[in-house]
Amino acid sequence: MDAKASSAEDDALRAEIAEKLAGGLETEVWPRAETSEMVNDIVGRLKTEAGDDLTTKLVVAGVTDHVIEADDLEQPCETCMYFLVHRRFCELPELMLPVEPDWSCRLWRI
Amino acid sequence: MANLLWLQGGACSGNTMSFLNAEEPSACDLVTDFGINVLWQPSLGLELGDNVKAILEKCISGEIQLDIFVFEGSVVNAPDGTGNWNRFCGRPMKEWVRELSDAAQFVVGIGDCATYGGIPATAPNPSESQGLQFLKREHGGFLGADFTSKAGLPVINIPGCPAHPDWVTQILVAVATGRAGDLTLDEFQRPKTFFSSFTQTGCTRNMHFAYKVSTTAFGQRKGCLFYDLGCRGPMTHSPCNRILWNRVSSKTRAGMPCLGCTEPEFPFFDLAPGTVFKTQTMMGVPKDLPEGVDKKGYIKLTAAAKGAAPAWAEEDIFVV
Repeated sequence: MDAKASSAEDDALRAEIAEKLAGGLETEVWPRAETSEMVNDIVGRLKTEAGDDLTTKLVVAGVTDHVIEADDLEQPCETCMYFLVHRRFCELPELMLPVEPDWSCRLWRI
Repeated sequence: MANLLWLQGGACSGNTMSFLNAEEPSACDLVTDFGINVLWQPSLGLELGDNVKAILEKCISGEIQLDIFVFEGSVVNAPDGTGNWNRFCGRPMKEWVRELSDAAQFVVGIGDCATYGGIPATAPNPSESQGLQFLKREHGGFLGADFTSKAGLPVINIPGCPAHPDWVTQILVAVATGRAGDLTLDEFQRPKTFFSSFTQTGCTRNMHFAYKVSTTAFGQRKGCLFYDLGCRGPMTHSPCNRILWNRVSSKTRAGMPCLGCTEPEFPFFDLAPGTVFKTQTMMGVPKDLPEGVDKKGYIKLTAAAKGAAPAWAEEDIFVV
């Protein structure tokens, strides 16, 4: 069985996201999704507002190209349950985006 | 020969259906091989109306020795403590339960509702339901915390929604063949032989749990159901992955999160919207952690395990 690694398509999209974030795209970093109700609200917005629009996805999820610390916890993609380590990919069904381990978003969960 | 009587209170008959599917031993084996005489059972009894009532009265008077009284479903007290919402043979079922429990050598509560009150006792509990000796986690229930049957044991509880058929028949055989003294019960009066290990024990997704790879949507064969889909396997005491259902599978093996139905809080979070099939979190950390694991330890373990996850753990390894 071949494990899935990051593809050329993933790499290109990851680079595009990195460029948007480095270029100053302001995303909704705060408030973090502190409670399950807040998680449900944000996921609901991803479904209704973002759909397949990349920029809106990044904004609503509060994606950053650096690690955010909240409640004394660092929240890197690297430790998030939705992160596929080998593919460097966020598998949250409403995001499904190639990311970097040292990025972060407010839907982080461990 | 051991006489067994089985009644239902606030019940859906799910535990009766489960019981009738038992294989090791089967419901028939109880009669033919283990000397259990089923006096009456809602789905098996031939008697109706006054003839059922006569059996119950003879059990209470002692004319018929009642060895095992099995109760399925909650004890319904509504309205206003009268029990009239659940009448049987001319009187509130709760009155039969009280008198038959006092008459029986052993009392066995089958299913979550008889054990803790179950779904009928979910807030705001309009049926004023109770379990036989518990209301959710609170000891007492309908019969009271101090109740013991004639043989000196409290109610033997076999929770589950439903209870696995073989848990039921194996405990009935133990009681009927004089081995009740071998049973040790836990704090909720569940036989330890079934309820000391976890639902997670034996789960085929344990490797995904170990490497912290999550199932993120129903239908995925990879991943652990605990992290995102609300599986309660690591916190629930049951042998569902040791004594398989229909001898072949379990909820988690089939991709269905464990709902924790052998625990007193079931149904969890009073079924509030957004709580079913969704792991509840506080700042990204599950509210309910695997039993015995604290938040700090969980975070350390998870970060380390995630970093060590091999590539295959992130794939569907069950190739057809």
